[in-house]
Amino acid sequence: MSKIGVFVCHCGENISATVDCAKVAETAGNWDGVTFSVDYKYMCSDPGQSLIKNAITEKGLTGVVVASCSPRMHEPTFRKACAEAGLNPFMCEMANLREHCSWVHEKGEATTEKAIDLVRILVEKVKYNHELTSIKVPVTKTALVIGGGIAGIQASLDIANTGHKVILIEKDPSIGGHMSQLSETFPTLDCSQCILTPRMVEVAQHPNITLYTYAELESLEGFIGNFKAKIRKKSKSIDEKLCTGCAQCTTKCPVKKIPSEFNEGLGKRTAIYVPFPQAVPNKPVIDRKNCTYYIKGKCKVCEIVCPTGAIRFDQEDQIVEVEIGAIVIATGFTVKQPDFFPEYGYGKHADVITGLQFERLASASGPTLGEIRRPSDGKVPEKIVFLACAGSRDPAKGIPYCSKICCMYIAKHAMLYQHKVHGGKSYVFYMDIRAGGKQYEEFVRRAIEDDGVNYIRGRVSKIYEKNGKLIVSGVDTLLNAMPVEIEADMVVLATAGVANEGAEELAQKLHISYDPYKFFAEAHPKLKPVETNTAGIFLAGACQAPRDIPESVAMASGAAVKVAGLFSKDELTREPIIAVVNRQAPPVYSSCVGCFLCVSACPYQAIEKEEIKNRNGEVIKSVAKVNPGLCQGCGTCVAFCRTKSIDIQGYTHEQMYTEVMALLNEY
Amino acid sequence: MVDLIKRAKELIESSSVKVVIGYEQGTGNKTRALFVENSEDADKLIFDSRCIQNLAAYITKKEIKEKGKMAVAATLPVMRSIIQLASEFQVTDANILVLGITPESKLIEFGNLAEVEKFVHQYEIEIDVRNKEMLDKLEKMTQPERWQFWIDELAPCFKCYACRAACPMCYCSRCTVDFNQPQWIPVPSTELGNLEWHIMRAIHLTGRCIDCDACYNACPLSIPINLLTKRMLLDAKEHFGGYQPALKGEHLMSTYKPDDKENFIQ
Repeated sequence: MSKIGVFVCHCGENISATVDCAKVAETAGNWDGVTFSVDYKYMCSDPGQSLIKNAITEKGLTGVVVASCSPRMHEPTFRKACAEAGLNPFMCEMANLREHCSWVHEKGEATTEKAIDLVRILVEKVKYNHELTSIKVPVTKTALVIGGGIAGIQASLDIANTGHKVILIEKDPSIGGHMSQLSETFPTLDCSQCILTPRMVEVAQHPNITLYTYAELESLEGFIGNFKAKIRKKSKSIDEKLCTGCAQCTTKCPVKKIPSEFNEGLGKRTAIYVPFPQAVPNKPVIDRKNCTYYIKGKCKVCEIVCPTGAIRFDQEDQIVEVEIGAIVIATGFTVKQPDFFPEYGYGKHADVITGLQFERLASASGPTLGEIRRPSDGKVPEKIVFLACAGSRDPAKGIPYCSKICCMYIAKHAMLYQHKVHGGKSYVFYMDIRAGGKQYEEFVRRAIEDDGVNYIRGRVSKIYEKNGKLIVSGVDTLLNAMPVEIEADMVVLATAGVANEGAEELAQKLHISYDPYKFFAEAHPKLKPVETNTAGIFLAGACQAPRDIPESVAMASGAAVKVAGLFSKDELTREPIIAVVNRQAPPVYSSCVGCFLCVSACPYQAIEKEEIKNRNGEVIKSVAKVNPGLCQGCGTCVAFCRTKSIDIQGYTHEQMYTEVMALLNEY
Repeated sequence: MVDLIKRAKELIESSSVKVVIGYEQGTGNKTRALFVENSEDADKLIFDSRCIQNLAAYITKKEIKEKGKMAVAATLPVMRSIIQLASEFQVTDANILVLGITPESKLIEFGNLAEVEKFVHQYEIEIDVRNKEMLDKLEKMTQPERWQFWIDELAPCFKCYACRAACPMCYCSRCTVDFNQPQWIPVPSTELGNLEWHIMRAIHLTGRCIDCDACYNACPLSIPINLLTKRMLLDAKEHFGGYQPALKGEHLMSTYKPDDKENFIQ
């Protein structure tokens, strides 16, 4: 006979304001199998927990139902309390009276009735609970960092410096990411590459970091502490061991007119190329789509000029399999291109450029060596217009969110322009100036007050070309919506920051969730900003939402600490809430008929075939078997099993059925 | 089917197979399954348009499997069933020989299941005009009308489970209805209980049913339960891109594909 204790929590007034807690406890006390029932102001407090512990020891309780908040909040607390009093922690269940009842309903009898129902369900369930023991799994103390931008670099260095191994993969030929493209950084105007490149070199030289550039994640299996990743090392067509980075090949390559990705299309590169002079590793790759040899079958100039014979035309992609314990995703973001904006000419005006292109123009390592010259004819623009919120905060364009970094970089751009083009005029069209951050507001004021940038509050309706000028037609809302027309030489669009192409596929490979804009979703918007909903996978930087450099770095360090925390233990304890395929006495052995549809249904590859053999070693029956190390207890297999041969421990068919019947039956 | 009788005799006499499953004349104008274990019995084998029972339902039976290797006189639906059963690991090349009967009533003997699969794949599974019309009619009904239609149609069902016995895919040694701890699907034949049983059956057959109509043909009350599986066949096709049983098939319902449409949960 069950001896169940019901503990109804007031949660201060969170529950008791709308639910009659005393009545819930009193009603529950009259049910079969309930030997103890009480309500208390704060069940999670020390005296509250003592109440539970004392009841377990004094009344000899066999099951506990705590009717309080969400199990996400306090299940560990109450399970621990039960365990301390000698009751198996999995004999403790929680009825969620707060999120599921008191917070969402008005005060009234019906609310109390619902609370009673919720408790009733769990009381009936706990009668069918079984004692369970936690599962222990080992931890592989190597981390995989995906993406070699500033976030990935920071996370890799921080993890490596705690003494753990890191594998850093980057899809481009060099690490550095968007930060390496920037000219100066706000709010201090220090040179972006000058602060970044030492970090890049540190990554390359760190004994704990294995760097794979020009590599992408192929697939991922496993679970926290025990992932298996396949990494596709795309063929660079060179032997990296032999290559010295002498740059003979890149100077001699005859294909010289490929738009450079690093220069955002404003400069040109060769088919065998190093993206930028400070690249890490400073070794070229052959772009097979544009290389004459791969297109026409002859050329091989690079092979002829290479002094070490490092060119390998027949090199194939390589798949590297690695075992890792945790993953940091730092795949960053991208910006919308001008062709997204019909009102600004669908990208057909060469002098309407993106903010990222302006960075390249302003950068000393850029195509103009840091002089602001317009792409069409190389003239120094005398009038320049910056448009904030190009796409951002525009539900009609499907981007209702604020891209966050633009207000600051526009102020920086305008400032750089004023510093470089004396006597030039700059205008900024903005909706609001969002300069929340240390020294950010001061920075924007400096642009307006010291450098004389003209800020116009209003939006631009269209840009068109007239007599070689770009006519920017907008409105000044601070002057009673007066129309404004500026004849500009160049226009810079602060185009919206959006998720990377392929973010969705990556999220599916990693089994993590993402928001409607394909940015990866954090586990909790406030309290778990670097965790994902998949244990052991963490987020850093702009792959989660548009982020500036300081935020990306802070997030990366946060993710690194989470990884280091995970690696601080040799074993992980996992909840035994896993699927089990039943076993019975011979000659049945199991009700499983071995159709193995569960094998294909399992998202974690946790189900395998087990052959039941007789004494002569002949197979009598093939049945499914769940690997407890891999199973995440999602229950997909349970739903698929036609013979009802699979149960989730702690959520068995019997328990589920009992819960439903408790609701349906009168009592 | 002189060819079939001849071949069955050879197979039994040479002990290549222990049993040949085919059709024989039954009572009245009906045919029934015949299990040929000696060459004299082979003379009883017949094949004509009345032979619509899905013989694949027998090949997973313990009593037949125990006899040893079997040969099956298999029409197109039977061959489809065999391929689906093979993909669910219920039958292998080692225990079956398929004596295919083409839609033109020609006998083809297949060397292995891969050849059967290739043959089967020449034909799309298509729903006949009469049933298609019926499905369209149901589709046009309002939800309450449709509910009432099924309540009325299923009301006389007394759960004889003939549909289950006739279906080659219902080979589970423990059916969901036989699972009684807890009893999710009630045993007595009640209005709601009947509905639960037939809905459950249709769902379990989605992506597996090859539309042979054996369930409908077996029903002593001629309840059009095959409309349910046909509907599921069409739905599966719409949401998950068609269905053809395949030996190494990615099972339609249990395999996640990134390009699966998920418009039914939005």
